[in-house]
Amino acid sequence: VKPRVIAAIAVCAVAVVAIVGLAVALSKNVVYFRTVSEAVEERADGNGRGRFRMAGEVVPGSVEETANGVRFQVTDGKATADVVHQGDPPDLFKGGAPVVCEGRWGDGAVFDSDRILIRHGNEYEPPEVEDDRASREAVG
Amino acid sequence: MKAALGVLALAVGTSAAVLGIATLGLGLRRGDDRLLQVGRRYVFVVLAAAVAAVGAMEWALLTHDFSIEYVAENNARSTPLLYTITGLWAALEGSILLWALVLGGYLVFMVRRFHDRVTDPLVAWATVTGLAVALFFFVLMLGPANPFTTLPNPPSDGAGPNPLLQNHPLMAFHPPMLYLGYVGFTVPFAFAIAALVTGRFGEGWLADTRRATLVAWGFLTMGIILGAWWSYEVLGWGGYWAWDPVENASLLPWLTGTAFIHSVIVQERRGMLRVWNLSLVIATFCLTILGTFLTRSGVVDSVHSFTQSAIGPMLLGFLGLVAAVGIGLIAWRGDRLRAPGRIDSPVSRESAFLANNLLFAVLAFVVLLGTVYPLLAEALQNRRLSVGEPYFDRMTTPVGIGLLFLMAAAPALPWRATSGEVLRKRLLVPAWVGAVVMAGAVLLGARELAQVLTFGLAAFALAGIARQFWLGGRAHGPIRAVRSNPRLYGGLVVHVGVVLIAVAIASSSSYSTKREVRLREDESATVRDYTVTYLGSEVDRSDQKTTVSTRIRVERGGDDLGVYAPAISTFPNSTQGIGTPSVRTGLREDVYLTLVSSPNERGRITLGVAVNPMVLWLWIGGGVMALGTLLALAPALRRTPGQFWRRSATHTVAQRRQNGDGEKPVAPEPGAREPEPV
Repeated sequence: VKPRVIAAIAVCAVAVVAIVGLAVALSKNVVYFRTVSEAVEERADGNGRGRFRMAGEVVPGSVEETANGVRFQVTDGKATADVVHQGDPPDLFKGGAPVVCEGRWGDGAVFDSDRILIRHGNEYEPPEVEDDRASREAVG
Repeated sequence: MKAALGVLALAVGTSAAVLGIATLGLGLRRGDDRLLQVGRRYVFVVLAAAVAAVGAMEWALLTHDFSIEYVAENNARSTPLLYTITGLWAALEGSILLWALVLGGYLVFMVRRFHDRVTDPLVAWATVTGLAVALFFFVLMLGPANPFTTLPNPPSDGAGPNPLLQNHPLMAFHPPMLYLGYVGFTVPFAFAIAALVTGRFGEGWLADTRRATLVAWGFLTMGIILGAWWSYEVLGWGGYWAWDPVENASLLPWLTGTAFIHSVIVQERRGMLRVWNLSLVIATFCLTILGTFLTRSGVVDSVHSFTQSAIGPMLLGFLGLVAAVGIGLIAWRGDRLRAPGRIDSPVSRESAFLANNLLFAVLAFVVLLGTVYPLLAEALQNRRLSVGEPYFDRMTTPVGIGLLFLMAAAPALPWRATSGEVLRKRLLVPAWVGAVVMAGAVLLGARELAQVLTFGLAAFALAGIARQFWLGGRAHGPIRAVRSNPRLYGGLVVHVGVVLIAVAIASSSSYSTKREVRLREDESATVRDYTVTYLGSEVDRSDQKTTVSTRIRVERGGDDLGVYAPAISTFPNSTQGIGTPSVRTGLREDVYLTLVSSPNERGRITLGVAVNPMVLWLWIGGGVMALGTLLALAPALRRTPGQFWRRSATHTVAQRRQNGDGEKPVAPEPGAREPEPV
């Protein structure tokens, strides 16, 4: 076997290993967005153990302060979830605010959040419920 | 009136680009030198049109002419003067206008620089390519991204710029720097296309565009660093880089551009890597367009939103066209692109450059994949997701360390082949310095492999650079050495800046402390060895914004370090609170204070306190990189016989190769004694 062929095989092998490694690293570090109803549905199905971002609106009047954070409810109009957040929420957090909480489902159907983003103007948008449904139907 | 003037200017610019392309095209076809003489003048008209359009927009902004939609959306009567002027690049339409202006400027510089080679087909084709790019942006502005759209019922006051964009004066510098970098890569791109079309892909086009490429690269570097600085000073999360798609968009062309300015040297010297260099330039230009597409079409928010305007599809179409033309031309010329040189030894300067290029390409691919993966997943699978920072951190760190190693070792390697003796002589002392620093870092408590390696390789690189300066200085005196070869020493100074930045990133990413503390008035908290005391707060209401600012005393070991004022501002037209962090900057570490929540009904605030080591060295490193780039741009004053970059030799090789006759390069035979790079 010519050295050139060996070299070519070696290069291909390295490339394959690198691409597989990259794909694994990527899939491990992906955070999905879900609406509240999607998240609730997934929990009911026994899935959704990983970390994800849940988008919805803070239910007015549901916010109470806890020893090390806040407790509140989020809704997307179809489903509502209880959220316990560690740490202080951002300044504009209040009832009715559109938020994205990052965390995972804990015990007792409570979402343990450790990061709250207030959805704002032209930089960051959590998924629109209507838009999501419409596009899924279009896809089939 | 201003809108009419603006649209008129855009129409003139479009026509001038079309006429210029037609005249030059006809001249090239018929071999008519007079047509080429006339054709190049349209470039000046394009610049004049861009200046007029920008002038019309600034006039409208300064007079708060809300009959123009762009002004109504990005300006308000209460907007301060600075942010009124910078309103030009606060949103998409104005940014494209700025792009056209910068492009016009670069094209005029290009045409003036080659005024004595007007009839050279290479220059003519490059001008045609540049004008074609300008034409695209003018058409974009006459079509979907028209900055001069008027409103039938102008509002009495405008919405004002995005609050984030009017919170720090760095906003005045960061975007123009970035655009000067982005757009500057059009010049080497135009010459690469011209080289492919004319079949003169020797070293001529590289020598012709060396300065332009370096200028563009320098501006892009500054743009990225200023962006990181702005992020650190304004966004208030305590960091400077979040692997946000907008940040990645500016990094991607920088990675391929940096690979290019290194691999160019191999082609100049050995005639190798021709296809690779052409591909890198075309890829860099494509990535600048991709960056504009990602940041400006709204595609990052949602794949579905980008079809709401024709801008996204047009940018994507242009990207596809550029890529197709580039790949097509390379494929067409493929048989004639074979390089005359070969790599003789795996341990040589050219192998090191090749490895450097591979690593930069891998880095660019990793970042590109992480950036576009969410878009692909949404478009193909309709799943919304984001790629977390750990992916980027984990994947880029080993590649970055590999690059740091090459940066330390490669400048000492001779071309073509080397012997163990040469390596020992040149690398032994720097390698020992690196090893000692590594051991010292471990003794002082560094435990993470990546950090220890970064510190050690940084010392290795610095010692190697110091050795080269010392040798050069000893042989010719420091000033003459630098002036005889500014490109080499400028490059080494840039490397010093990179070392500082690498050390700053390694330190700040692993040794930062971040805590949130809740304080009532006169209460204190201690983070690391700093004590913060909440003294009180004030509310300041103006038309433009409402600001809650606090007074925080910072002490260390009983020493009063002063009173700092982290604040939160709310703007009338935005639901978003904009924090203003207050940073105590130090050579060793920064104390970074953010007001997480303003006083609640019981007068209690939440304060973010972060201690970030070495962050100042990022900005210092950026300054050193800028200095090195300027030095590398300086003309060489005198050539000495044993000099490393034989510019005259390079030029003759380049000229002979222009005919594509594939002559053997005139580099010395393998084993011949290489003069040290002094």
